Amino acid sequence: MATDLEPLDRSRRFYDDGFSIGRFEITSDDFWGWLTILPVVALYTLVALIPIGFAILASLHSVPLLNPQWEFVGFDNYIEVFQLDRFWGSMWRGFVFMIGSTVIQLTVGIWMALVLNKISRGSRILSTLVFTSYLIPTIIVTMMFLFMLDPYDGVLHAAGSSLGLWDDYLLGNTSLSMITVVIISSWKFSAFVTLFTLAQLQSIPDRFYEAAKVCGATTWEMFRDITLPRIYGAILVVIFLRAVFMFNKYDIIWQLTQGGPGSATTTMPILAYRETFDLGAYGMGNAIAIVMFLFLLAFGLVYLKYANPSEEVET
Amino acid sequence: MSTEEESDQPAFGRTFRVSHTYRSIIYRAGLYGSVATLLLILAFPLYWMAQSAFTTREGIQDGITFLPTPETFTVEQFDIVFNPTVGRYLLNSIIVTTGVVITVIVVSLIAGYGLARFDYKHKVKVARFLLVGYMFSPIVIAIPLYLIWDYLGLLNRYVGLIIALSALSMPFAVWLMWKYIQTIPTSLEESAWVAGASRWQGFKDVIVPQTKPAMIANSVFAFAIAWGDFTISYILMPSNEATTFPPGIFRVFTSSWETGWAEFMAISLLVSLPALLFAFFLQSYLLKGFKIRAL
Repeated sequence: MATDLEPLDRSRRFYDDGFSIGRFEITSDDFWGWLTILPVVALYTLVALIPIGFAILASLHSVPLLNPQWEFVGFDNYIEVFQLDRFWGSMWRGFVFMIGSTVIQLTVGIWMALVLNKISRGSRILSTLVFTSYLIPTIIVTMMFLFMLDPYDGVLHAAGSSLGLWDDYLLGNTSLSMITVVIISSWKFSAFVTLFTLAQLQSIPDRFYEAAKVCGATTWEMFRDITLPRIYGAILVVIFLRAVFMFNKYDIIWQLTQGGPGSATTTMPILAYRETFDLGAYGMGNAIAIVMFLFLLAFGLVYLKYANPSEEVET
Repeated sequence: MSTEEESDQPAFGRTFRVSHTYRSIIYRAGLYGSVATLLLILAFPLYWMAQSAFTTREGIQDGITFLPTPETFTVEQFDIVFNPTVGRYLLNSIIVTTGVVITVIVVSLIAGYGLARFDYKHKVKVARFLLVGYMFSPIVIAIPLYLIWDYLGLLNRYVGLIIALSALSMPFAVWLMWKYIQTIPTSLEESAWVAGASRWQGFKDVIVPQTKPAMIANSVFAFAIAWGDFTISYILMPSNEATTFPPGIFRVFTSSWETGWAEFMAISLLVSLPALLFAFFLQSYLLKGFKIRAL
């Protein structure tokens, strides 16, 4: 029996004391901690850090996509990007898309969360629908709406044209296509705001409301003085997250309009894709990606400053 | 509360105001009106997809009907699954999604355990670094990854897509697991050690079984990312044989005039079915996941 215990003892000692390489003291916590986080760090390095570095490098070169011969051109790509009319246009449209869809998602999402938190009957059906819209693939949402807006067989198209709201294909209309894309993306992504807010709402203890009721507070006063301060922080976080995600949104816009008609819905991600894969200017596409990344970095720093998500929960 | 401002009124002043009942009626009307509006907005597209999936192509072309009539009812549209191209896309999606879900569960369990139980140098910095993952933009990542994967020979390979999508799901998954394991008392593990269990056995037999809710939430979120991903797969899987369902069906959709709306709605219904089932049966786990995320 004693011999059986020996390897266990040795490993136990190793767990407790750690070891050292030269001057570096590595405690066992350091060793095992870094070992456990290693796969994540490796994934991140491969899928985020290397691509960003690679993109910076590529953006300084002229790289034709079909025949990747790297030719150093310095900052020419950036100079060209900033001189492109379509760059500033797509940046402006990107902000319109981002702000429009964030505002709609926030309004509908919080409204939906407040309603879900209050009702008792039917809440399961409503929350199933909310989760469904969050979980179904974007391509399905796109196909559903393209079908409903189809000029020949679409139900929404028929409803809209009989009410006199629009006559031709809604997504083919230069002035209405952006707002249509904003609304369709809001249908898909409002659920995120709802779930985020609802989780916060449900963590407010009932006794707060009971105490307020005893004191004679009205529903509005309870909302203003208990609910709102409690969900305020979560709302700030969700605004940042939604704004970042919508700024980056490529798939739903591409699927609905491919940036068209003309360039009416060409946002920055769409432009980056077009420059890279349609025009074959790989270096240029990377320059746009880097410009977008810098925007995101600025967003990220603000987010980290205001929300402090690395706080640990107390058990 | 505003009771102090109105202290000159009788103590139970509010109950004598008629407006109270009115207010309550308005409140109820507003609440149930909202429920009805939201139900309509959310359910209508889904209902329309479902009913069109069972209508023949002629039925859809003849005009708008709210339910298929006996003459136009059909289940033939679902044959699109046996179309070799679409079947291939679905199979690719299933392989990639399975790979992503398994990778995410394993890696997040290990990393979450480490963050919760080991007190190592730069831990907080690492945790903050994980949050940079929220700033991953599929398009910003996918454009440089395209040539990198090309050089590494990972283009059009399942492994390449699984790696990219797992990394995208990781920040949330690791964070959820970290916070969840923190809520499991350390004493449970310690008593296992006292009984002679090794650290690994303690992890495997004490911690892992208890993280089931977090694992379910993580797998559903990873499923949603992998099953629904369009951007990454569109760029990293350019060949028609390798691509997953969303870019694949998009290709069919933009290029072929032979496939009708009813068929697209039928395949959409099938592909969104897992999402519907998860939404109905696992919603409490998912909400718990969001609760931890919002902390």
